[in-house]
Amino acid sequence: MVANRMNETEARFFDDFQRRTIEAAMARIIPTDHAPGASEAGTIDFLDCYLSGIDFIYAKPDGSGFERLKGKRAEAWRQRIEIVRRKYLEGIDELNQRGRAEFGDDFADLASDQQDAILTIMEGPVREQQRAREEEQAVSGFTPPEPALQQIAAEIDLDFFPLLVLHTRQGFLADPVYGGNRNRVGWDAIGFSGPQSLAETHAGRYSTLPYFAETAGVTDDEAG
Amino acid sequence: MTNHNPDRADVCIIGAGASGATAAKVLTEAGLRVVALERGPWWQPDQFSADELANVHRYNLWPDPLINPRTFRASAADDPVVQLFCPVPQMVGGGTAHWTGWLPRMTENEFRPKSIYGEVPGANLADWPITYQELEPYYDKVEWAFGVSGQAGANKYEGPRSRGYPCPPLPPTRYNQKFHEGCAKLGYNSFPTPSAALSCPYNGWPATNQSAFAQQHGDPTGTRGNALTRFIPAALATGRYDLRPDCYVQEITVDARGRARSAVYWDAEGETVEQEADLFILACGAIESARLLLLSRSNQFPNGLANGSDVVGRNATFHEYSAAIGAFEDPVYGWAGGGYVGASTFEFLEHAEGRDFVGGCHVASAGVGIPLPISFSLPDKPTWGQAAKDADRECFNHTMAVGLVLHDLPQETNRVELDDQVKDAWGLPVARITHTPHPNDLAQGRWIIDRNAEILEAAGATEVWRVYIDKVTGNCSHQHSTLRMGNDPTSSVLNKDCRAHEVDNLYAVDGSPFPTSTGVNPTLTIMANAWRVADSIVARRGSPA
Repeated sequence: MVANRMNETEARFFDDFQRRTIEAAMARIIPTDHAPGASEAGTIDFLDCYLSGIDFIYAKPDGSGFERLKGKRAEAWRQRIEIVRRKYLEGIDELNQRGRAEFGDDFADLASDQQDAILTIMEGPVREQQRAREEEQAVSGFTPPEPALQQIAAEIDLDFFPLLVLHTRQGFLADPVYGGNRNRVGWDAIGFSGPQSLAETHAGRYSTLPYFAETAGVTDDEAG
Repeated sequence: MTNHNPDRADVCIIGAGASGATAAKVLTEAGLRVVALERGPWWQPDQFSADELANVHRYNLWPDPLINPRTFRASAADDPVVQLFCPVPQMVGGGTAHWTGWLPRMTENEFRPKSIYGEVPGANLADWPITYQELEPYYDKVEWAFGVSGQAGANKYEGPRSRGYPCPPLPPTRYNQKFHEGCAKLGYNSFPTPSAALSCPYNGWPATNQSAFAQQHGDPTGTRGNALTRFIPAALATGRYDLRPDCYVQEITVDARGRARSAVYWDAEGETVEQEADLFILACGAIESARLLLLSRSNQFPNGLANGSDVVGRNATFHEYSAAIGAFEDPVYGWAGGGYVGASTFEFLEHAEGRDFVGGCHVASAGVGIPLPISFSLPDKPTWGQAAKDADRECFNHTMAVGLVLHDLPQETNRVELDDQVKDAWGLPVARITHTPHPNDLAQGRWIIDRNAEILEAAGATEVWRVYIDKVTGNCSHQHSTLRMGNDPTSSVLNKDCRAHEVDNLYAVDGSPFPTSTGVNPTLTIMANAWRVADSIVARRGSPA
C-alpha cells in the first residue's frame, strides 16, 4: 500500500539544480543527527509533489489516493501554487547568489556551517520584524511574548524563508501519504506515536487511550 | 432568476451549523416545514479525515482566504488587510464539524454584567434581557438531546441545574491530572470540562473514539457529538427539513410593508433561486449574519435590513485564546486528548473587586496549540536547525497548556461592516472587521495567564511560558454581539426573543444576539438559546401539528 502511494507522489516541479538547492537547505532546517532528519524523511519529495500542480492537495480521507479539485476550490489552489512556485524560484536564486557572493559556490556545494550562515542571513528580516514587535510591546509595558497560539498568517503571505521552514516541517511531520515523513521517521524523531495509516483513523481503529492517565481504564469501565 | 422557484416554506433558516440545526430540529418536530440554505457542502462522516496537513494547514475545513476572504483593521484610521479573522468552517455542521466541543454553562451573574461591573469607560456593556433561570431548561434540553459528558456539582460556581449530565466525564488524561493537582495545591476548585464527546454509549450512539486528531479535524468515525450527528438527523427524521447545501444566500428581500419576503441565493449550479417563507432565521455565525443584513439593502432599509438603528455589526466580540505553557519531566502526552478532553476551573470567571479589571473567564487545560506535530510550537524556541529539532524532541510529549477564552468587552467601534474594496469569489463585498482590544481585555488576559502559570508551577512544571494577549485575532472562532438582543430598539437589533425590532418575521439564533461575549465557550449557550427562540416561534404561531 505504502509503496503504491510513493509512486503516486512522484510528480515533480523543480529541475535537478533547483531540487538540489532546496534539498540542501531542508537538510539544514531539520538536520540529521542520531535520528533521521529532513533528508531521510524525504521532505524534498513532499514539496516537489506539492508544487507539481493541484493533484496532491488533499489525500482521500482513507489514504486511498487524492481528491480531484473542482470549481472555485481548484481555481484557488491553482492560484496559490503559482504564487508559492514563484517564491521558491526567487528564493533558490537568492540562496545561490548569496552562496557565490559569500563563499564562492552554489548553495548546495557549500559546507554545512556556510549554509547555516546564509540561512541565518535570509532569516534576518523575519527576526528583525519579530524584534521590533517585541520592543514595541516592551515599551507598552509587556514582557516580550511570541504569539505562538495565534495563527493568522496565510501560506501565500509568508516570505521565502518561513515558507521553506513551514514546508520542511510539513514534509517531516505530515501523514506519510503526502510523500514525506517516510516510514514515519519524523513522528519517531519527536516521539509522536501516530496512527499506522489514514485508513486506521478512518476506520476508528486508532485510539489514543493508551496515552491517557493510567487510571483511565478504571473510569472507562465505570462509564461503560 | 429561474422561472421555477421552490414552494414557499413556513420557515427559511440560513445556515446549518450549531444554531441553525438546533432551530431546525425544534421547528420541524413541532410540525413546521423548514427550508435550510447552507452555503457550504454537506459531508458524510466518511468524507472527513484525520489529516493534519489538509485540515489545519490547507483549508480542507477552514474557509480558503482566496475564496472567502475577510479583512481586518485595528481602527478606522488603519488600512484594512486581508486576514483569516475568526474563521468558522462553512459547511453543514458549521463550527461543530471540527470544534473542541467544550460545553460549559454561563453562570447566573454572567447574564448581568452591566449591573455587576458598573460603568466601564469605553465599554458598551449591557445586561442580557434573559436570565439564567429562563435559559436553564434549555441548557438541560441541549445537554440531554446532545449527550454531554460531565460531572454535575463538580463546578462550584455553576448555577442550579434541573438534573445532572447524561454521561459521566471523559477518562482522565495525564495533562488534566497535572491541572487538577496544581489547582488542588492552590486551593482552587477544578472539574472535568463538560464535553460533546461521549464517555459511554448513549441514545444509540457509540462512545467517542479517542483520537489525537479531534480539534480542527472532522470526525471520520461519526462518534463525536456535533450538529451533524445530533440535530441534523433529528430534523431530517421528521420529513419536514429540506436541507440544501452549496446554496449561498446573497440577499434577503422585503415586501412593501418592510417584512422579509424571500432569500435570494445561488444554488450549487450557480443558478439564482428565490425562496419565500413566512419567516426567516439567520444562523450564519455572528460575522456572516451581520454581513447578510448589510448586503440586504432596500428602499425601506437603505443601511441594511433591520438596521435603521445603525446597531447591526457593532459591539462585536470574539474571545481570544491564549495560555501559559508548562514543561514537565514526565510525559503528559498533551496530544492524546485531541484538544478535546479538558479540565477546567471557574475560579477566575466571576467578577471580583480589587483587581485591575472587570469580569473574567473560563480556564482549562489542553495540549499546546492544535496540538499535533506540524502545528506544535513553543514561544522563544528557534524554528529551524539543530536547536529546533532538539526542542521538539524534548517538549512534544512533555508540555501542556492552561488556556483561557478572553472575556472581551463590547465596544461600539469594534464592528463588522462590508469592505469597500475586497470581494469574495462570488463578487460580493466581504466582511471587514475593525477591532481594538479594550484595556480591560489586556489586563484580564495578563492577570489570568499569570494565575495559569502558577497552576502549572504548583503542578511541578520545570519551565513555564506565559503567552500574553496583545491583540484579538479571533483564534477561538467564537463570535458574538453583532445583532445584540435587548429591550431598547435604539441600542439593540433584536428583542428578547431574538426577533428583529424593525422586521417582525426575521430572527437570529447564532452568537449574534449575545449582548456580551461572556467568559465561557459559547456554543452550548447558542444552542440553548436557539432552542428557546424556536419554542417562542412555535408558541407565537400556534403549532400546526
